[in-house]
Amino acid sequence: MKMSKQFLFTLMTTILLIAMLAACGEQSAQPTPQAEPVQEEPAPEEAVGAEEAAPAEEESSEAGEEIIIQHWYHQYGEDGTFEAAQRYAAEYSEQTPGVTVEVNWVPGDYFAALNAALLTEGGPDVFELQTADIARVKAGQLEPLDSLFEGVQDDFNATALSRVTVDGKIYGVPMIIDPQLVFYRKSALEEAGIEPPQTMDELIAAAAALDTGRVKGLYLGNDLGSASYLLYMSTFAAGTTMLDGNTVAFNTDQNIKMWQKKQELAQSGNLLVGAPTEWWDPSALVDGLAHMQYIGLWATPGMLAAMGDDLGVMPWPAVDDSAQPAVFIGGWNQSINANSPHKQAAMDYVKWLWIENTDIQQDWNLSYGFHVPPRKSAATSADPLKSGPAAEVLQLMDEYGATPSVLWTGAMDSAYIDAHSEVLLNGADPTEMLNQAQTAVQAELDSLLNQ
Amino acid sequence: MAVQNSTYDTANLAQKKNRARRDALSFWIFVGPLVIGLMLFVYIPIVWGFILSFFEARNTVSPTQYVGLTNYIELFKDPRFFDSLVMIIAYSIFIVPVTFALSLGLALLVNSVSRGQGFFRTTFFIPVACSYVIASVVWKMSLFNGLPSGFANNILWWVFGANPVAWINTTDPPLYWIVLVTVRLWLQTGFYMIIFLAGLQEIPHSLYEAAAVDGAERGWKTFRYITFPLLRNTSISVLLLLFIEAVQAFDEFRNILGGGGGTSIAGGTQILARPPLVYLYNVAFQDQNYGRGAAGAFIIAALIVLVTVLQGRILGFGKREY
Amino acid sequence: MKTGRYFQSFWLYALLIGLAIVYLIPYYIIARNALMTQREIAAFDWILWPSQIQWRNLIDLFNDPIAPMGIGLKNSAIVSIFQVAGQLIVTSMAGYGLARIRYKWADAVFFLVLGALMVPAAAIFVQTFLVVAEMGWVSTMQGLIIPPMFYVFSAFIFRQFFLDFPQDLEDAARVDGLGHLGIFWRIVVPNSTGIFVALGTIGLIRAWNSFLWPLVVGQSRDTWTVQVVLSTFMTAQTINLPALFMGAAVGILPMLVIFFLVQRYIVEGVKTTGIK
Repeated sequence: MKMSKQFLFTLMTTILLIAMLAACGEQSAQPTPQAEPVQEEPAPEEAVGAEEAAPAEEESSEAGEEIIIQHWYHQYGEDGTFEAAQRYAAEYSEQTPGVTVEVNWVPGDYFAALNAALLTEGGPDVFELQTADIARVKAGQLEPLDSLFEGVQDDFNATALSRVTVDGKIYGVPMIIDPQLVFYRKSALEEAGIEPPQTMDELIAAAAALDTGRVKGLYLGNDLGSASYLLYMSTFAAGTTMLDGNTVAFNTDQNIKMWQKKQELAQSGNLLVGAPTEWWDPSALVDGLAHMQYIGLWATPGMLAAMGDDLGVMPWPAVDDSAQPAVFIGGWNQSINANSPHKQAAMDYVKWLWIENTDIQQDWNLSYGFHVPPRKSAATSADPLKSGPAAEVLQLMDEYGATPSVLWTGAMDSAYIDAHSEVLLNGADPTEMLNQAQTAVQAELDSLLNQ
Repeated sequence: MAVQNSTYDTANLAQKKNRARRDALSFWIFVGPLVIGLMLFVYIPIVWGFILSFFEARNTVSPTQYVGLTNYIELFKDPRFFDSLVMIIAYSIFIVPVTFALSLGLALLVNSVSRGQGFFRTTFFIPVACSYVIASVVWKMSLFNGLPSGFANNILWWVFGANPVAWINTTDPPLYWIVLVTVRLWLQTGFYMIIFLAGLQEIPHSLYEAAAVDGAERGWKTFRYITFPLLRNTSISVLLLLFIEAVQAFDEFRNILGGGGGTSIAGGTQILARPPLVYLYNVAFQDQNYGRGAAGAFIIAALIVLVTVLQGRILGFGKREY
Repeated sequence: MKTGRYFQSFWLYALLIGLAIVYLIPYYIIARNALMTQREIAAFDWILWPSQIQWRNLIDLFNDPIAPMGIGLKNSAIVSIFQVAGQLIVTSMAGYGLARIRYKWADAVFFLVLGALMVPAAAIFVQTFLVVAEMGWVSTMQGLIIPPMFYVFSAFIFRQFFLDFPQDLEDAARVDGLGHLGIFWRIVVPNSTGIFVALGTIGLIRAWNSFLWPLVVGQSRDTWTVQVVLSTFMTAQTINLPALFMGAAVGILPMLVIFFLVQRYIVEGVKTTGIK
């Protein structure tokens, strides 16, 4: 058969095309992921005691070879944070020969991007999480970091540590603590002649009283308060938690009542809707679109600058007199990819950055927005947090602060938040929705613990 | 024709076999790459996903723990998945005829103008160059944003003297549907209009002339008895394409209503209108439940194939008419 | 009656012009907002066109640390061009093979391809992601370029087109001793520029505007395409509106240019295929 020139030409073009693609692929995916199929490590099949994932990986040859540590952050709203993160990375890279840290600043859907990346060989070495939840630990995504805490464990805020501790092992280093509450304009409440609300009924009344038409009473976000942290906070303020050991705890009469009250609030027309920014941005309060706003400590510098003494803060009101108000304690931690080829180098980096370097911790926590440093020694010496609303926040945090357990995973969040959104946005029945959520979450919990 | 005798036959046969073998090789050279690609990126994924859907696969894509039909059962019991199915069926039933009518209407209008056909045709077709993402940006951040500075709100004010409305966040009445539907109409009608135009221009003028002789002017009558029946093939293709696209809605819903769900920082407006694909994206990529996500995707794909086959049976796939 | 016809004609044109204006509004908005300041965009009274054109928005866009428009454009360009090239080569050859080459299993293969057409691409994205992830192609260029390359619709249109292709040309070439490949590359392709341009453009727009697949596969920042950049820009914690719209403008401009150059071919292409 004739080997026609055309055939050869076609063949060559195809080969050339593939070669070019491969070259492009190499260039843009640094560090280069291997082309062979990923060898997945089977999720540990033991019972609740989650052990370390596969036997420790070999470190890639250290001698003379440049190690690049991929460090992922979610996008922070405050100005200057990106530059700061890069600065720390540059500092470490300079003083550590053979190691360079690359910062990846992820806007938008951080968790979806992270999850996809963790499935492959080219995933980040160091990354942020909010809690080191049990699902991730079981899947062997996180490296135990107990060794980094030797001698300093007591100096860390207990609540913050509880968010990263699974079965007695620590899987993340707390970086910042974010208490969330409701901030308000004092003068507005005074004018309307009302005290800061302590219960949900008082909150509903306050929102109505403060609604002048042009300025709304309360801002919970454009989704009327469906966001996860507010949901947790209101659960605590209903006198219960989300999980109690191995069972769902949020389906109580008190919580049903809380959801009813929140539904009332959402349908009252006193909530600000269609604001140009979301609840995590203080513009609604500062620009006078609403008199009260659900937001966290981080926005305090901007709010203080604009409102000065007029800034007041209060915890989320209790469902009624039988419960206590609540403050949500959130925050971000740094974890290490258990499948990273540079685990030891990554651990050294994280230790330097978040445990040894108290200057950096102070800077990160206080220079751009306000967060509570997770190290007690750093927190007590943090001057900006010693006065004004910031100090109040710390007090309220100590008194009423709470956080979800590490058994709470993203999938449970989906179920719980969706049920809640149905109540707030689509007028669904709280009892029915809580039942639905309970079924879904219990199912998740069961399958997780029975693995 | 060649005279046949035994030696000639043998030679002929050998020649035929040779040609057949050459043809086989040529066939695979030509069609092979596509087949390989389809195998790799369509059929193997379907099989793999199908297999994975019988396993418990969280935070991993490798099947390790067999759980039988659990994923499917859980999905069918899942009110959220059910809601998304109901939603997309209702949505399709609405949007497909509307888009069909609008595209056909535009085609008829453009076709009946003698001057400027090119201009109008281009104008309605331009949105095709725009992506769903960019259109969502315009719709969400400018056309229908809730501020007084929004375009729609400006019109409300200047024409009706009405106050600004939060289009996307108002649930009573559900104004966000206006946003979602108009964006899809804008993006899609032009393309289908072109298809209809091509179909319209195939209809021989003689038919209309004959009708005119019989006293029927161009108008509803000619449309009903000449135009529409002759557009049958086109209509069927259009309906099928529209339906397949509608059921796979993702882009504008996710961009306008938000990523939402899970430990995402954004809130929960997604629940207002959540098509199955958006829900499955959450299940797979935010909840990291790949087994369940695969099961759900399989159900959706099966649903679409089923409806396609059904429509084929009922309406016919549209044979070429000679 | 003549007056009746003119009257009707007038309303027809009026309707069409009205619709045309409505259809052009989004593009007007993109252009307007891209050239204004944030304050002007947020102004209560609608500003028809900025008095001062803010070209600096373009600079701000590319300097924005959060929205890497430069990376997005580069990636989109690479992905689109390679994907379309691959699509045209693979699907045209497949279409020709299915249309012209006699083969025992041709029908079976045809049904295989037909089946893939019926499986909706977006409904198997999770499964395709699994395979691609196992191949190690997540957040890589090849992961973005190759899977969508096998655009069955394109293969079908090519097949329809080649079925109608005048066989005399091919027969003449065969007499001259050319094999299938020779006929294809030397005779058929050069005489089919219209359909190639039409399907190439459709493929290009499809690749450039694609969102779900690049979102799923190109999660890492350095593999973001323009659409992913814009989407994250929209949901970012802080939004610079003028830059966002400038981004939208930049994201749509290449497609508009190509569209204008080529739309005639697409219309012709649709006419000559069996889609209608």
